[in-house]
Amino acid sequence: MTGELVVKDVYVTVGTEQILNGVNLVVRPGTVHAIMGPNGSGKSTLANTIAGHPGYTVTSGEIWYQGQNILELEPDERSKLGIFLAFQYPVAVPGVTVANFLRAALNAHRAVEGTDPKETAVPIPEFRTMLREGMQRLEMDQAFARRYLNDGFSGGEKKRLEILQMSMLKPGLAVLDETDSGLDIDALRIVANGVNSLMALTAQSAPNARMSALVITHYQRLLNYIKPDVVSIMMDGRVVREGGPELALELEEKGYDWIRGEVVAHGE
Amino acid sequence: MDTHLNHPFPPLQALTSAHLEAAARANGEPEWLVQRRKDAWECFSHAAPPEWRRTNLKGLEPETIEPFAAPQGTGILWDETLAERGIIFSSLTAAVRSHESQVRATLGTAIDPLRHKFSALRAALWQDGIFLFVPDNVSLDIPLRVCYILADGSRAIFPYSLVVLGRGAKVAFIEEFTSHDAPAPALAAPTTEIFLGEGSSLQFASIQQWGANVYHIGGQSQVFDRDATSTWVSIALGGQVQHIEAEAHLRGAGSSLTWHGATFARKQQRLLTAPLLRHTGVHTESHLDFRTIVHESGYSVFDGMITIEHASRGTVTRLEEHSIHLSPGARSDSIPGLKIDTNDVAQAGHASTSGQIDEEQLFYMQSRGISRADAMRMIVTGFFEPVFDALPLEEVRESLSAAVEANL
Ligand SMILES: Nc1ncnc2c1ncn2[C@@H]1O[C@H](COP(=O)(O)OP(=O)(O)OP(=O)(O)O)[C@@H](O)[C@H]1O
Ligand SMILES: [Mg+2]
Repeated sequence: MTGELVVKDVYVTVGTEQILNGVNLVVRPGTVHAIMGPNGSGKSTLANTIAGHPGYTVTSGEIWYQGQNILELEPDERSKLGIFLAFQYPVAVPGVTVANFLRAALNAHRAVEGTDPKETAVPIPEFRTMLREGMQRLEMDQAFARRYLNDGFSGGEKKRLEILQMSMLKPGLAVLDETDSGLDIDALRIVANGVNSLMALTAQSAPNARMSALVITHYQRLLNYIKPDVVSIMMDGRVVREGGPELALELEEKGYDWIRGEVVAHGE
Repeated sequence: MDTHLNHPFPPLQALTSAHLEAAARANGEPEWLVQRRKDAWECFSHAAPPEWRRTNLKGLEPETIEPFAAPQGTGILWDETLAERGIIFSSLTAAVRSHESQVRATLGTAIDPLRHKFSALRAALWQDGIFLFVPDNVSLDIPLRVCYILADGSRAIFPYSLVVLGRGAKVAFIEEFTSHDAPAPALAAPTTEIFLGEGSSLQFASIQQWGANVYHIGGQSQVFDRDATSTWVSIALGGQVQHIEAEAHLRGAGSSLTWHGATFARKQQRLLTAPLLRHTGVHTESHLDFRTIVHESGYSVFDGMITIEHASRGTVTRLEEHSIHLSPGARSDSIPGLKIDTNDVAQAGHASTSGQIDEEQLFYMQSRGISRADAMRMIVTGFFEPVFDALPLEEVRESLSAAVEANL
């Protein structure tokens, strides 16, 4: 299926260290797929690998999205294909304002090969309105538009800005890497609404290309707001358990040792 | 009107004091100025070349240069209403006659003409130039601009900007240096002397955008009276070689300076800026933020010195330098210095960063669909943004951003 993300037996090294040891995962269109797992289990590595971080080398395996093996694609090409990563640690770019950055990103998405980018660029007044409305929905101060990207932003402000970017780029697949960490309870609700409403929007407007979300989190709390269809648990660089929403609850109750014990018992 | 001698002097190697004297008299210059030119020429003829370790003038062959004996290219943006407010903004040669006492009292007093061979050469041969005087308590909102242009085919220009701000005066002044690429090596040797009266406020920008093959050997100085404040922007984009000695003398109590520098050296350019910040007053403040991008085989030097001198008290100073290397063949040197000759210093800080463009920044931007090349362009112009932001005119800001982007 086209809108599906398929991660097939992926091995990843950083430098000389092997970090992912054969990850298998399928995210179906229109679904929320949660990934949980202890610190250092490889969740962010998987997220960065999907987005195409040049520091992560895929030594074997495939990642398919929109009917393409995306491993050959540059990060910007993957973005234009519909993949969006909300970073666990968003990067500051001093000197580049939020507004200019977002406009460049939007225009890059709208560009058509062989056509003058000026012709496809979003008109500035239209862009301003989009930005203003997007910020209003996320209850962000309009002054952020003129600030330098993530420069001096608080943890929570950075996470909100990630969601603002997502809502403007309208991806087909959003990978949210601990977007809930560092958020107060109000912000968590606002951010979750942002994700849910975008998913609802595509469910109506593009039933054949419904947005899906890969949600990495440590806490059941977020999953109360963004209801997962599937929950996968990662440990030591691979997915060790997969289940429905109840798996997250069970994990919250019993902790990782419970799964670790099971994995060992199964002789893995 | 000036009586211009529109022929060039003989080449420097054949030029004599007598040529200078004849030209100065033909231009109607007063006796004191004729004498100063001759003294400076004397110094130039006898002084050994300066030992600048990081500035190489080999390709210039200054002895074969034929300087002009009269002004060549000074563009002044002039507004009739300025005169009504007592502002003088005129060619320096004209001001020597029309405002002789003011010019005589200031010209050559901030930068010692006899300091070295090139300061002497500048003092002997300057022709193009402007005199800007803003009376006490007059403030002007629109920036004043002077553009020094090296005419095609000319091999030398010696511009001189003399700026005097009265008490409480406020003005923005932009000095630009431009030319086409020069077919033969050319010498640009400008002097800028600025006097800030008590409580005055200045925004000053010096924008070097010479074409290829121009050697810029410049001297700039700002002298601060009590409570005077200045924002100084130094931009270096053009030329073959640049050697600018730029001095700020914070001698008045409570005076302060914010200095932004942006240098972009590429191809075979060697661009050096040597700021000297002298703190001699009480409770003076300086902030220096110097940014460098080197590309291709470009070479940039920041040779900065801050002196907190014996007479000063409670000085605050902060120096920041940042550089980005875009190609492996590009180099930059930074030689920051701090000399303290008092035990009463409020704050003296220094920070610096240097390296390539951050891969994490590139990945972040690319992950939003922006191509690697565009992301680089945005990061680089963003890097200069705090400097360009301090420029007093939007159109200048935009044209500089465009000039940087065009050469990435
Ligand atoms: N760039 C890197 N250089 C060196 N080691 C790395 C790098 N990125 C990840 N690792 C290592 O890979 C392992 C997995 O890291 P990863 O960030 O993917 O974990 P995570 O599951 O996201 O953890 P957390 O829950 O703490 O965010 C860790 O041991 C980490 O130290
Ligand atoms: Mg992580």
